[in-house]
Amino acid sequence: MAIQQQAEFLQHILPFNELTDAERNYLAEQMDVVYFPVGSVMTPNRQESHDLYFIIKGRVAEYQQEQLVANYGVRGFFGEKALLSESSENEGLYFKVVEEAILYRLSGDIFIPFLNEHAAFRHHFEAGIVEKLNAWHRSQQVAASTEVMMDTVCSAPIRPLVEVSEAATLQEVAQALVSNEADACVVKLETPQAQTVEYGLLTSTDLVKIMAQPEMHARFPVKEYVSQPLITVHEFDYLFNALLKLTRYQIDRLVVRSDHGLKGFLTQKDLMGLFANQSGLALLQIEQACSQSELQQVAEHVDELVKNLHHKGIKTHYIAKLVNELHRKLINKLFELVMPEALLDRVALLVMGSEGRSEQVLRTDQDNAILYDHLQPAEIGQLQHAAERFSRAMLAIGFPACPGNIMVSNPMWRASLRDFKNQLKAWFDRPSADSFMNLAIFYDAHTVYGQEGYLQQMRQLLFSRLDDNEMFLRHFAKAALQFETPIGFLGGFISEQQGGSDKIDLKKGGIFPIVHGVRCYALEARLQQTNTHWRIKALMDLNVFDEEFGIELGETLNFFNTLRLQSMLEQKAQGRGEGQLDNKVALQSLSHLQQDLLKQAFAVVDRFKKRLQRHFKLHEVG
Amino acid sequence: MKLGSVVGKWLSSMLDRWRRRYGVRRLKESEFAFLYERSEAADGFVCFDCETTGLDPQKDRIITLSAVKIKGNQVLASQALNLTIEQFQPISAESIVVHHIRNQDVQQASERVVNEREAMRRFLHFIGSAPLVGYYLEFDVAMVNQIIEPWLGIKLPNPKIEVSELYYQRRLQEVKHSITQPNIDLSFDVILERLGIPNFGQHDAYSDAIMTALIFLKLQYPRQDSNTVINHLDNAQ
Repeated sequence: MAIQQQAEFLQHILPFNELTDAERNYLAEQMDVVYFPVGSVMTPNRQESHDLYFIIKGRVAEYQQEQLVANYGVRGFFGEKALLSESSENEGLYFKVVEEAILYRLSGDIFIPFLNEHAAFRHHFEAGIVEKLNAWHRSQQVAASTEVMMDTVCSAPIRPLVEVSEAATLQEVAQALVSNEADACVVKLETPQAQTVEYGLLTSTDLVKIMAQPEMHARFPVKEYVSQPLITVHEFDYLFNALLKLTRYQIDRLVVRSDHGLKGFLTQKDLMGLFANQSGLALLQIEQACSQSELQQVAEHVDELVKNLHHKGIKTHYIAKLVNELHRKLINKLFELVMPEALLDRVALLVMGSEGRSEQVLRTDQDNAILYDHLQPAEIGQLQHAAERFSRAMLAIGFPACPGNIMVSNPMWRASLRDFKNQLKAWFDRPSADSFMNLAIFYDAHTVYGQEGYLQQMRQLLFSRLDDNEMFLRHFAKAALQFETPIGFLGGFISEQQGGSDKIDLKKGGIFPIVHGVRCYALEARLQQTNTHWRIKALMDLNVFDEEFGIELGETLNFFNTLRLQSMLEQKAQGRGEGQLDNKVALQSLSHLQQDLLKQAFAVVDRFKKRLQRHFKLHEVG
Repeated sequence: MKLGSVVGKWLSSMLDRWRRRYGVRRLKESEFAFLYERSEAADGFVCFDCETTGLDPQKDRIITLSAVKIKGNQVLASQALNLTIEQFQPISAESIVVHHIRNQDVQQASERVVNEREAMRRFLHFIGSAPLVGYYLEFDVAMVNQIIEPWLGIKLPNPKIEVSELYYQRRLQEVKHSITQPNIDLSFDVILERLGIPNFGQHDAYSDAIMTALIFLKLQYPRQDSNTVINHLDNAQ
């Protein structure tokens, strides 16, 4: 009678539901009730005995080595890892109460003997936690790799530089390589201007290829055969940038440079050796993936990576840079998988909007398009099927559908150059909210696969329409003012009530006005860049923005994006799916310092809006 | 000020000692002298609750009694004392409605049913000299005293902590800046609700004892919003 509640409680928890009533009652009788206020920390390693905990009420987060590993809510149970695995694996394991908690506690002294006596139950119980442990190991690998990625290039093993003059013969180069035990060298090239020095690269593989050619002689000068330009990385750059360069150019080595000249080589092999476990590296997995489901796993790893980088306090636009490179590779690979081979090189796949600007960190939507030039009707039919498959696959990988249906599955965004030209003209000739939005999204486009020239042609057309249409930008810019900055007359926040807390929409209040405002200036200057930070930089170079203002604007955008990322990660941790993340942040979750910074950030937005208003004379347009 | 507190301490310790000596002298069974021993090891509390045949301590009887120890932040539910006491008169219909213990339930539990004195012997050994915690504890204590006073010559000497009183003080703190006289609801379910403690539903002595112990535990900690979710991403920044 007395232990009924406990037994019923257990009955709803896997795999305890598989026990007989008598067995469950036995366990129920042994359970104590424990109370923990918010912020309490339980460290299993410091306790004499390990226990299993069930959550009656509240929420508990599990950490290992300062990394959030799991969140447990009502009817969740935890502590079994410490009970069942070696103590060395539980180094740095602790639990933190994030919402005040009432728990049932089952002593390990009772539970372990019970497990040993019930083999079938033990089997089920362990099968469940193997998955948990795997998830943890994966996150550990990612964390370790993440740390390496944020190291600087000079902390990696750098092979000494071998330099030869352009007059050297092939034989001399081979001798230099052998005596230095090197597999590549830089060749110093003479330039007409004596001040500048140019370099080229020659690898041992190149040498072998050259020697294999008929009528080749070892005395020939090396000058003719060097590859240019030299792909270099600065010694104080992040290792992840080095990795990105290696994969982007698909090369095996980078030349490391310092402020004073060249320093040596960083090879892909040495770089990979630094990473704790190669499977933690999403980049490599994308290259190796050969099915959609494998790409899906990689996408999940990318999210893990984002979480780790964010927790380490890496600036959001660096994270965005890395993640977008990964996303593009992912999209690239997926496109290769679903597109018929005959069509691959005759189309251009564009990503647009936030993905095109390299500003999407968590996958919040997909904006993409396909352009083609000359295709037969039958091929157009093939393209349609492949495009629809592509959009579905993107969805499966975790890029939610675009609410405005700006996807290749939509015929409007899968067009021949001629049709698209007419479309562009139509947007200019019949301005509406939709055509403004389409143009804004299209201006941020970036080619990820196929013919890069198509986008160039279309962008040139866009610019020439702008030349003919001076009033256009002024109407276009107006959109940046459509949302009020959420700061009141007296300097306080204007928040919206939602779910019992005060929330601020960061996108409407801060991110959109900056991104769109900068986009207007960029259009006016006919910039080719798509990323907002690069646009700001370019506008500073053109003296449109003075340096102080440009930096302030960039940092403000960074701050908003960081807060948004933090809020979205939190939403994800609470179990929200990819398509349901919103751009809002709860004021209560911000520290006083963060609230102050947020107010200052909104003040910058307000100043930027005034500037836009003056510059584009927005008060004159209705 | 300092002198006052020293004198106060001395006075209360004198009173304590006198009360103990007086109690021990009246105690008819020396087996229970431990009730007056202040053991240093006993740092916990005991929370208990009874279900009875009615609400009159003069003539009604205890049917079931549950007691749990509280140690630190733990309610030692696995070591709870659960007693069912044999009855000589049928349980009244109105109290069956409250605790859902029918006459046949007591009969069915017959192998675990003990007589009143045996029940009290186990109860007293369980509580020792620990402070007692309860909700409207006065009633439960009176029910126990009604049995032990004619037999042992004493009433329960343990310090007594009333959770509804603790709760009242807490609420008073919360509303102290309010200009209106607060109307504080002290019903059991309201207290549970306001403190965010899960209601186990069934009101039996054991569940009530555990819930009461949780109320006590929770009131040991400074007030916190039960909906507060600390932002664990924050620390990592």
